[in-house]
Amino acid sequence: MHISFLIHNAYGIGGTIRTTYNLARTLGEQHDVEIVSVFRHRDQPVFDPGPHVRLSHLVDIRKNSPSYDGADPDHSRPAKVFPVAEGRYKQYSALTDRRIADHLRRVDADIVVGTRPGLNVHIAREARRGPVRVGQEHLTLSTHSKGLKRALRAVYPRLDAVTTVTEADAKTYRSQMRLPGVRIEAVPNSVPEPGLEPADGTGKWVIAAGRLAPVKRYDLLIRAFEKVSAARPDWRLRIYGGGAQHAKLRALIDELGLYNHVFLMGPANPLDPEWAKGSIAAVTSSMESFGMTIVEAMRCGLPVVATDCPHGPAEIIDNGVDGRLVPTGDVDAIAAALLDLVNDDELRQRMGQAALKDSARFDPSRVAGRYETLFSGLIARSGLRGSLHRARGSLLSGAFMTKDSLRKVRVA
Amino acid sequence: MTEAAEAAPARADCVADSAGGLTFHIAGWTRPAPGSYDDWSGALVLVRRGAADSPDGEVRLPLGPTADGRLQAALPSTVALPEGRWDIHVAYGEEEPQRLAPGLNDLRSLVDRRPGPSTSPLSVRIPYATKHGNLSLRSWRRAPHAEAGDIRLEDDTMAVRGRLYRVESPADWLAGAVVEARCRRGAVPVRTAPLEVDGPDFSFTLSYPELARSWDGDRADVWDLWLRPADEAMAPARLARILDDVADKKEIFTYPPRTVAGPHGEVQAQPYYTRGNDLAVRIGPPA
Repeated sequence: MHISFLIHNAYGIGGTIRTTYNLARTLGEQHDVEIVSVFRHRDQPVFDPGPHVRLSHLVDIRKNSPSYDGADPDHSRPAKVFPVAEGRYKQYSALTDRRIADHLRRVDADIVVGTRPGLNVHIAREARRGPVRVGQEHLTLSTHSKGLKRALRAVYPRLDAVTTVTEADAKTYRSQMRLPGVRIEAVPNSVPEPGLEPADGTGKWVIAAGRLAPVKRYDLLIRAFEKVSAARPDWRLRIYGGGAQHAKLRALIDELGLYNHVFLMGPANPLDPEWAKGSIAAVTSSMESFGMTIVEAMRCGLPVVATDCPHGPAEIIDNGVDGRLVPTGDVDAIAAALLDLVNDDELRQRMGQAALKDSARFDPSRVAGRYETLFSGLIARSGLRGSLHRARGSLLSGAFMTKDSLRKVRVA
Repeated sequence: MTEAAEAAPARADCVADSAGGLTFHIAGWTRPAPGSYDDWSGALVLVRRGAADSPDGEVRLPLGPTADGRLQAALPSTVALPEGRWDIHVAYGEEEPQRLAPGLNDLRSLVDRRPGPSTSPLSVRIPYATKHGNLSLRSWRRAPHAEAGDIRLEDDTMAVRGRLYRVESPADWLAGAVVEARCRRGAVPVRTAPLEVDGPDFSFTLSYPELARSWDGDRADVWDLWLRPADEAMAPARLARILDDVADKKEIFTYPPRTVAGPHGEVQAQPYYTRGNDLAVRIGPPA
């Protein structure tokens, strides 16, 4: 298969970029894979696409580059194809409209994959006839504005498939979007096996990691940890990440007198060595599109105490087996679940082992396998669709292929 | 050298052991052509920042291939590395040394480190990523070493717990010892407070008003904290926090300020860790 990804900026750092690289890299071992980045703002990508994946860009915004595009007058004219209601609209322009359209008219691939709503809109409207069109949703439908939902509903019927990162979001898409003939499939993000030994469960540290943003509700975690450290002053909490909430969280730690027990560590990359220093991970968000840090922590052998918030945690954690799910926003429940694991070494070790084992299903090889099955099913189906128009004679074998591909997809 | 290799420096993974030793591994290296192997030599080159030309400003550690095809270099705790920041390079043969980028720094054995009894200097080396994305390490070498632990703040006092390392008998050393606060502005008398001692563990309480008494109302005073043994002939020990995996404490181990009365009105008092991870107290104007 020849697979072409279209991404906002493959040269930055972020969840979508990382997960696209993981997927492309793994698919690239078997297939012809390229990543096309709308923007390029630095010479080298932060993440390594691996030896087999081709990386290219459409709009060069490196000021020192001979092919700098920022001075093109179209770059300062508003975009017309990229939807106004999309979060990144301001970065898009008549120039990106033109370059993306040119790219999609010529793209030589079996599958074109968009990685954010605005780019999925481009693909739905502009990809040439032939390639299968897949739109990935890395966030969730319910967090999009009404305007964006309307824009997506108008053109997503022209996609062959929409992928979400959770079953919960796939269900929302199916019930709210009315996309006849469009496959809607949940495929989780992938997390590679860490390059170091898993945690051994003996360190008296609880670890959390993520942007210091209100949605992460680190205030709840800090309040819960006040109760944990009152019962077990030998345990401490590290929160990795940077963000706008830093000063507020710092003030809360000081107000509660937790400055010997709770530490704001700042950003860390890679995170795996930091997870490995702890014995329990905590996620107290009010919303997680997926819950990447839960999987990361589990892959390092940590049981995770997470709020049962929409959308991801309940699809990752097997409550009571490889981690704990607690009601969203409930400080006492978070503290109680943490203390259960703090006070029971045997339970903590057992859940950590289970977390290690259960999180293997998020390995890039397994996730890429699911995409592979989805993609080949879609190619088979689109082949049938084409043949219906072209030759009635192929109908029977086409029907067989369709049935077969559906079954394969379901099994996956 | 290809463009890619030029732009993307080699990465080194690093594993710390609890004794203070480090082992480095470089995975992406090109094996020399057959025949040139005998002449080949690679080294990890550590260059102390601001001291590149001094006789103890550079340490070369031989790199050798391991069974799994990586290159390995070891920095045992017994190698005396002067205190400071060391930038880590790799050099092959006669080539110019190249900066290394950090890979995975597995420092779990440094977290909550409790060095065993010994009288040889305590070696602490913490690898870290610089803000430019290069691999460096910080080094401390102390005997005796007074490790600061929890700090409890009351309205106008700070109580510090700690532990003494690398003297023959910590309990004997601590008997009759005091904590001494030295103001960096000269000509200000030192302040002392007694220690409570339990084996190698000690604690003391400093009074903020006592420190605030000397403030001249101008720029903030900084007081450095030392343990001074009863025997004047013995070296004092600087209070520092270095027995973990956090290379720079200043922004992470922070403590809220308290406002107390001073001779020139209200004074803000706040303990903090210096750039060298030594414990100090700032006495200055309220924010």
